[in-house]
Amino acid sequence: MESITPHHFLILATLLFVVGFLGVLIRRNVLLMLMSLELMLNGVNIALVAFSRSSLNLDGSIFVFFIMTVAAAEVAVGLALLVALFKKRDSVFSEDMRLLRN
Amino acid sequence: MITLSLCLLFLPLLSAAVTLFFLRKNGNVASLLSVFTSGGILLLSLLLIINSEDTPISWDITWFEMGGWALKFGFLLDAPARLLLFVVAFVGFLIHVFSLGYMADDSARSRYFGGLSIFMFSMLGITLADNLIMIFVFWELVGFSSYLLIAHYFTTEDAAQASKKAFIVNRVGDFGFLIGIVLTYWTFGTVNLSELADLADFDPKLTSTLLCLALACGFIGKSAQFPLHVWLPDAMAGPTPVSALIHAATMVAAGIYLLLRIDFLFTPEALNLIALLGAVMGLYAGFCALVQRDIKKILAYSTLSQLGYMAAAFGLGMPGIALFHLMTHAFFKALMFLGSGSVIHACHHEQDIFNYGGLRKRMPITAITFLIGVLAISGVNFLSGYFSKDAILLGAYNFNLPVFIILYLGALLTAVYMFRLYFITFEGEARSHNSEEAKENNLLMTGPLVVLAVLSVIGGYHALFPVSLLEYSLPDIEMVAQLPHHMWMIVLGTSAWIFGLIFSRSFYGKVGEDDPLSSRFPGFFDLCRSKLFFDEIYDFYLKKVQNPLANFLEVMELLFISGLMVRGLAGVSALFALLAKACYVGKIHAYSFWFVVGTIAFIAYAVGLIAF
Amino acid sequence: MNFVDWLFVVFSVLTVGGGLLMILSRHPVTAAMYMIVSMLGVAALFVLLDAFFLAVLQVLVYAGAVMVLFLFIIMLLDVGPQGAKSARLAWLPGLAGVAATFLLGILLLSFLPESSVEGTLWPSLEDQPYVSGQNLGFSTQVSAFGFGLFTKYMLPLQIAGFMLLAAMVGVIILSKKQQESQA
Repeated sequence: MESITPHHFLILATLLFVVGFLGVLIRRNVLLMLMSLELMLNGVNIALVAFSRSSLNLDGSIFVFFIMTVAAAEVAVGLALLVALFKKRDSVFSEDMRLLRN
Repeated sequence: MITLSLCLLFLPLLSAAVTLFFLRKNGNVASLLSVFTSGGILLLSLLLIINSEDTPISWDITWFEMGGWALKFGFLLDAPARLLLFVVAFVGFLIHVFSLGYMADDSARSRYFGGLSIFMFSMLGITLADNLIMIFVFWELVGFSSYLLIAHYFTTEDAAQASKKAFIVNRVGDFGFLIGIVLTYWTFGTVNLSELADLADFDPKLTSTLLCLALACGFIGKSAQFPLHVWLPDAMAGPTPVSALIHAATMVAAGIYLLLRIDFLFTPEALNLIALLGAVMGLYAGFCALVQRDIKKILAYSTLSQLGYMAAAFGLGMPGIALFHLMTHAFFKALMFLGSGSVIHACHHEQDIFNYGGLRKRMPITAITFLIGVLAISGVNFLSGYFSKDAILLGAYNFNLPVFIILYLGALLTAVYMFRLYFITFEGEARSHNSEEAKENNLLMTGPLVVLAVLSVIGGYHALFPVSLLEYSLPDIEMVAQLPHHMWMIVLGTSAWIFGLIFSRSFYGKVGEDDPLSSRFPGFFDLCRSKLFFDEIYDFYLKKVQNPLANFLEVMELLFISGLMVRGLAGVSALFALLAKACYVGKIHAYSFWFVVGTIAFIAYAVGLIAF
Repeated sequence: MNFVDWLFVVFSVLTVGGGLLMILSRHPVTAAMYMIVSMLGVAALFVLLDAFFLAVLQVLVYAGAVMVLFLFIIMLLDVGPQGAKSARLAWLPGLAGVAATFLLGILLLSFLPESSVEGTLWPSLEDQPYVSGQNLGFSTQVSAFGFGLFTKYMLPLQIAGFMLLAAMVGVIILSKKQQESQA
């Protein structure tokens, strides 16, 4: 096997992203959907850092920094919303949150 | 001068508008307004006639422009226009005065007088117009006013049907007229009458029989010639003054006037055809009139017959004589219609002549004036009708013998049925209660009768008229005076009316409830009554051919245009909406699924797998 | 293939495997545990990429704060194990979703150019002086991060601060007890 190239990192990042997306698609529990969302973000982080390292540019890493910040804030708010919804509907499943349907 | 003409034209329109908006309930004021308007029209037209003696008034403005062609609104007051203007204004005024008396007890007077004003406006428009399109516009307006006025008693079935029939049959003629106008524009590049005259002068080959026959379709419709004559007898369902004005003196004369305006376009073949058609009409209408019972229908058929005479005169190449006969006919026919109106009014709207009788003693003025009218139309020497009819017969004898024979037979018949009408109505004993109670009407109704009677007597003496009036007819009158066989014609004409008088007197002198002809010659009687089945043929066509076609078209329209195209288009949009709606579930998973699909599509496009 | 490459393989298997196991597990707590494993794997990959500061941040923020928050909420809402019934995974949309995801993955992967870059793929790291302005050179030092954050990315930093404030306030409001409606 040859040495690990940035391509490998990118393939890894894609895989992680796709796995996370799959999780979003097939889980009914909103909590687990949020966790899969985090997985997607992680995949993007890996790609960014790989690019940053291979082009010797710190901008990518700083961007990862910000992504982490935003992800943390987003998780906080999302979970707070979920808790509020749970109080109304007593369920964390997305089928029970369908008020916007046709 | 131009302002005078504009005032003349729009004065009746103004009166009609005022009647429409303000005087609906106020019949008295409306009738007075209308009568004064017609008086005003008479004055203005006399002024115009006097002032346009030397040079014809010719003026136009552009109404609107489309591309390179401009539609103009203009006046052309030359020789024939002056005469018709005089006839229309004068006879119109007299009939307005008569209507004051006749319609005095009618509740819808405002509507009637408003309609009369609109009619005067339209008729003046035709008289003064200087291009074919303007004539057409006012043509239609005249047809509309005729429709309005025939349907005055619209609560009766007869009147409603008759007005529809008049309008529709007129429309058929106007369709041909419109095609003629289009052809004219196509051939000559203009529809202005003066320009057309110049162009036709310059190159006589441009015109064609098709062109002038198409234009003559308007005449056939309006003047109720063969085969579109079916509306005129039915139009007698309208009030009698309307019949007098529109269906005797002026509107039906508009057809002849149109022919005169475009006579430079006519080819010899077309002229021959028109002469023949006119003569045949003259004879056919005579047969029909012979067996009618309704006094107005007899007069209507006699109008048809006389219009045939005018058409024959035109076709023989004597348009001036046609116009001259138009004028004299207007006088004595209006006289007779108004006389019949007077009789009808006195006998409480009884119209069957076999229920009259003995009215001479009870209504002397009406009887004498009516007699003068009958004498005039029969061509009794030295009355007005004699001069014009004699001229036509003489011309026919010299130019076209078959036409002469038909016209002469028609003249015989005219004398017979007109004297029949007179004898049955006014002579003998009263045959019904209404007739016994009749008494002479007031001055409003007898006044116009007297005036028209005087004109019927002296109207033929062209020397009495100012030159400006008869300028168009004088050349033809002079020409006819020079024709040979004049003596022979006088003999023939005189014998025709004398024969008619004697035959009528003996046959119809003493009658009971029924027509003597029906008992003596039943076959002939029935044949005449059938009017050659024109009405039946048209009815059959309408019911069996046109209605099924219209129904079929309606079904097609429902299916294809409404269904397929209109609702189909809506359906296609609805289909798209349904498709879009299907994506709109409330589930997050569905949304994210479509998100993926969208992303895949975008990526595929970016990669180059899909191309738009 | 040297030791570092094997490390890469190990840690990537850890990451992706953890992710897969997370999305397929039945109990939310199990899923959270697998998620933490995955995050740790990502942190290790960051170390392999010489982004030490970020690795630490990953552990601290993601594995340490975010996942803990998740666990708190799971326990707060007392979410039980997802049985076959409660998972309610309808098979046709699920299959469609899986197929779509795979397609997405394949498409994304097709973007990767098969370029054969001669020379070193990972350029060497000497301690480059961080130059102010447009070109921030890659450095493993934290001060380089600080320098970039406070010069070139000053505005995003401030906005991130505001955003955190807003998130905090929002969360507090969202989780307040509705005292009026309970009366």
